[in-house]
Amino acid sequence: MSEPSFEEAQRELEGIVEHLESGQASLDEAITLWERGEELYRLCSTRLDTAQGKIEELARRVEAVKP
Amino acid sequence: MKIEAIEYGDRSVYTVSAFNRGVADWISRLPSLWVEGEVTELRRQDRWQSVFLTLKDPADGACLAVTMPRGQFDALRLDLADGERIHVFGRPQLYEARGDFRFRALTIERFGLGDHLAALERLKRKLADEGLFAPDRKRALPRFPRRIGLVTGNDAAAKRDVLTAITARFPPARILVAETYVQGPRAASAIAEALREICDAPEIDVVVLARGGGSFEDLLPFSDERLIRAIADCPVPIVSAVGHEQDVPLSDLVADARASTPTAAARLVVPDLAELNARLERSRAALARGTRSALDRERRRLDLARDHLRRAPLLMLERRRAALEQTAGRLRALSPRATLERGYAIVRAAGEIVRTSSQVAAGARLDVELGKGGLGARVEETR
Repeated sequence: MSEPSFEEAQRELEGIVEHLESGQASLDEAITLWERGEELYRLCSTRLDTAQGKIEELARRVEAVKP
Repeated sequence: MKIEAIEYGDRSVYTVSAFNRGVADWISRLPSLWVEGEVTELRRQDRWQSVFLTLKDPADGACLAVTMPRGQFDALRLDLADGERIHVFGRPQLYEARGDFRFRALTIERFGLGDHLAALERLKRKLADEGLFAPDRKRALPRFPRRIGLVTGNDAAAKRDVLTAITARFPPARILVAETYVQGPRAASAIAEALREICDAPEIDVVVLARGGGSFEDLLPFSDERLIRAIADCPVPIVSAVGHEQDVPLSDLVADARASTPTAAARLVVPDLAELNARLERSRAALARGTRSALDRERRRLDLARDHLRRAPLLMLERRRAALEQTAGRLRALSPRATLERGYAIVRAAGEIVRTSSQVAAGARLDVELGKGGLGARVEETR
């Protein structure tokens, strides 16, 4: 299975949280969902870090050519 | 008195001086008497010894020069105006140095309004009753006349003064000049005719009727009914620039505007080119300022947009991160961790959660997750 996009991962994460909040998940299910949630969180967080790095690099380059 | 003559053979010749002295002596023996006439050309100045005036016969215009010592004249407090009928008591005199004959006044008495003044006053009332002087008849003068008509006497001064004043104020002015008689019995109809002709000339937008200062009589044609009616009928606006400030000929009253000096006439008929240029220059400067400020405003807006552009991605990231962290917070709050806190444990063997004892055998390695921390353990037995 290919890596989900940031938006897909975030949507899935939020779906998990909502499901957990509804209180309908069994303990087993809860644990599985939690682990998946943490995984999704890491994925999203990494994506954001990467994006931020790119943006800052771009900004530095723009500043450099500014007269 | 004995006047000596020079004898050239049988001819007796007198020097000018001797002749004048002789005539003066003879004239001085004439009796003092009263003379009636109208005052014209009254000339009085504080630094002069004498006051001068010309006494005019209203019937045929015959004139008599009159002088009176200024002190005596002032003491009479007559406040004479040109055109007034007076009686002068005095005696004839010859001013020897110049051979000038004049009437030396001993006293002066006013004798009612002059015929001219009275007639003029009647005419003025009649024309006023007809509404010829009404303010609502006055037409506005054009701001930029294509062509200016100038009706003036052939006395060069008035024409030159008006032309100079107009061209000084507005050099490109186009002026059509009509010269005519402005004095004498034919003046009024001649001026009226000149006025009609100049109004028929193409592109004439305003006409200046100009006449320099002069005596009461000199200005009379400008109060003549024929001319007044011609002015009233004139199809283009007329400026009357006749005489000086104190003169008010009827032409001043019927014209659309009145000017007491050539400069004032110029101010009425043409704009001040220098001022126009200055205003244009100011407008141009304002235009440049306005354009620059618009440019500056747009540049500031662009700068602001660029700043927003630069900040936007990071801002978006921040928002996403905040949302993510919030979601993660909720996730963790719901995690079984809370359950573990209460004393439960999660047991995993080879990554799988152990749910039944049959999943593991004795000696198997277990990962135990506790409320705080975890344990590595081995299975002693299964039950």
